[in-house]
Amino acid sequence: MSQANRRNRELRAAALLVLPFVFIFAVFFLYPTYKVVALSFTDAPLIGEGNWVGLANYTKLFGDRLFYTSLWNNFYFVLLTVIPTTVIALLIALSVSKLKGRVQALVLTLFFLPYVLPVSVVTMIWAWMLDFQFGVLQPLIAAITGKPVPVFKNPTWVMPMIAVVTVWWTNGFNVLLMIAGLRNIPADLYEAASLDGATPWQRFWRVTWPLLWPVVSLVLTLQLILQLKLFDQVYLLSNGGPFNQSYVVLMQMYREAFQLNNGGYASAIAMVLFLVIVIVSILQFQLLRIRGRK
Amino acid sequence: MQGTGVHLDAVKKSFGMVDVIKGVDMQVKRGEFAVFVGPSGCGKSTLLRMIAGLEDTSGGSISIGERDVTHADPADRGVAMVFQSYALYPHLSVFENMAFSLRLAKRPKAEVKDKVQEAAAILQLTDHLDKKPSQLSGGQRQRVAIGRAIVRAPEVFLFDEPLSNLDAELRVQMRLELARLHQKLGATMIYVTHDQVEAMTLADTIFVLQGGHVQQSGAPLDLYDDPSNRFVAGFIGSPSMNFLDAKVVAQTSGGITAELTSQPDARFDIALTERPAVGTPVSLGMRPEHISITEGVGLRVTVDVAEELGGVSYQHGTLEGGEPVIFQQTGARHGMHGTVQTVMPDAARMFVFDEAGDRLR
Repeated sequence: MSQANRRNRELRAAALLVLPFVFIFAVFFLYPTYKVVALSFTDAPLIGEGNWVGLANYTKLFGDRLFYTSLWNNFYFVLLTVIPTTVIALLIALSVSKLKGRVQALVLTLFFLPYVLPVSVVTMIWAWMLDFQFGVLQPLIAAITGKPVPVFKNPTWVMPMIAVVTVWWTNGFNVLLMIAGLRNIPADLYEAASLDGATPWQRFWRVTWPLLWPVVSLVLTLQLILQLKLFDQVYLLSNGGPFNQSYVVLMQMYREAFQLNNGGYASAIAMVLFLVIVIVSILQFQLLRIRGRK
Repeated sequence: MQGTGVHLDAVKKSFGMVDVIKGVDMQVKRGEFAVFVGPSGCGKSTLLRMIAGLEDTSGGSISIGERDVTHADPADRGVAMVFQSYALYPHLSVFENMAFSLRLAKRPKAEVKDKVQEAAAILQLTDHLDKKPSQLSGGQRQRVAIGRAIVRAPEVFLFDEPLSNLDAELRVQMRLELARLHQKLGATMIYVTHDQVEAMTLADTIFVLQGGHVQQSGAPLDLYDDPSNRFVAGFIGSPSMNFLDAKVVAQTSGGITAELTSQPDARFDIALTERPAVGTPVSLGMRPEHISITEGVGLRVTVDVAEELGGVSYQHGTLEGGEPVIFQQTGARHGMHGTVQTVMPDAARMFVFDEAGDRLR
């Protein structure tokens, strides 16, 4: 009797604690997710119901040349950002970890500062710095290529420059993760290694690298997911142009949904991007885990 | 004198403004087991790390064998170190941990295998070579750390409080294993500990460090029987020596008569060659095992805690003046707790220290 009572009380308390979360999760995550899946099988406009069209949106999508361009641009961008930003973050973290006390905190803050800026401010800064007429970086570009380049209007330059902006913006967070990983490696391992006769190079490859690998693979995976979701920078800097050279999947989804009023088709694009991210990140994660176990 | 094991000459170390090691001379003979012992913060670990080359030396010189290694790289000193935390590479197997230095030196595979197998056999690790350090117990990890040192065949083994992370039983067991290992390898070993029991049981020579100085060095029992100052007298021996304040009341032909401050009817005739003047305050040191129960006059000790260990018991109490006294009883099992006991120290085995803590002989 009393045991049943206590069990009821515990259940009530548990329900009370869990329900607010379940409610918010259901309303703001579960329902929209269901809605996207459902919409992708209809010809619905952005607002209002549509008719069931089965897989028509998906068939249309797989015949859409712009979709393949966007997908290719997405992968090109991943290539330009994920590994470079990880390598840069690792190098910065290694040098910052050599510093001590306040100097270290100061330098770390400097590297982290861009990360706290909103994307619109970041793109504004870079748009001005790279401005064709007045940009402070144009002399540098001119010195290398021989003439100033309107980078966000040039099909060759546009994606690499968006990548540079993105790396500059998000690198601080990766540096922070790497620093945390480096701090987790006990100092006496390096002392033991130097007694064992390891050169600085060997200390890095035989101690730091294997012990930092879990953090490196975490950074790689997070970056991959993040960079596949590219939209803001493109929207603000080049709007997909020139000649669709910076057109990405989310850009296409945005156009279809909010400018062309094709809610159903846009949902199908979102679903496919979702599946691409899931598949690629699982693949990468497995790949990294196998390497880590070796 | 340089041809021996490890030789330190006026070695100094300062961190910024703080002097940690203030001029240490020492001589560890080849094949000797030397122990640095002292309370925490005495600089013993720093000194060991300076010998290893993990800390820079601010002054003086360090030589190992014939070579001056004061500013040599850690790897070139011919030393191997066993860390308190073991410092095993968590991503490598036991075999690879032990083979690490040979792999770095790019030794042939067969040689690596032989040397690791040999060390593993000495340390009974042969069955565990494929495991990762995280799969081993504390004692086994400790052995791997020692094995890693053995594989390098160094001139000098350095141990930095290697047993302090083990539980009491394992600590005693590993202590014995270390003693046997030293006999088997015959290498020079320097061992840092804060535990004077480890120091007494393992050492050929103990160096007692405090305040950045070597307070005294010598064979364990020499330090025990003949401490040169109050610090060493109090540090070596467990439970530690009793110190009672006293005053010289007379000079006799062979020494002095001293009277306890807190119990003036207790007087002792102590043999001394350097006799302090009448009225000089001194401190009398007496070990718990040299105090025995007496029927006649003596120190009246109110026992408040009795530690009964079976074979011996330690009676903790206070004099009338409140000074703490510990005395040892052998075989006696009658509860002394809460009683007042009259005890008499053996004046022949009493030590006299002046106010500065130096021994009067």
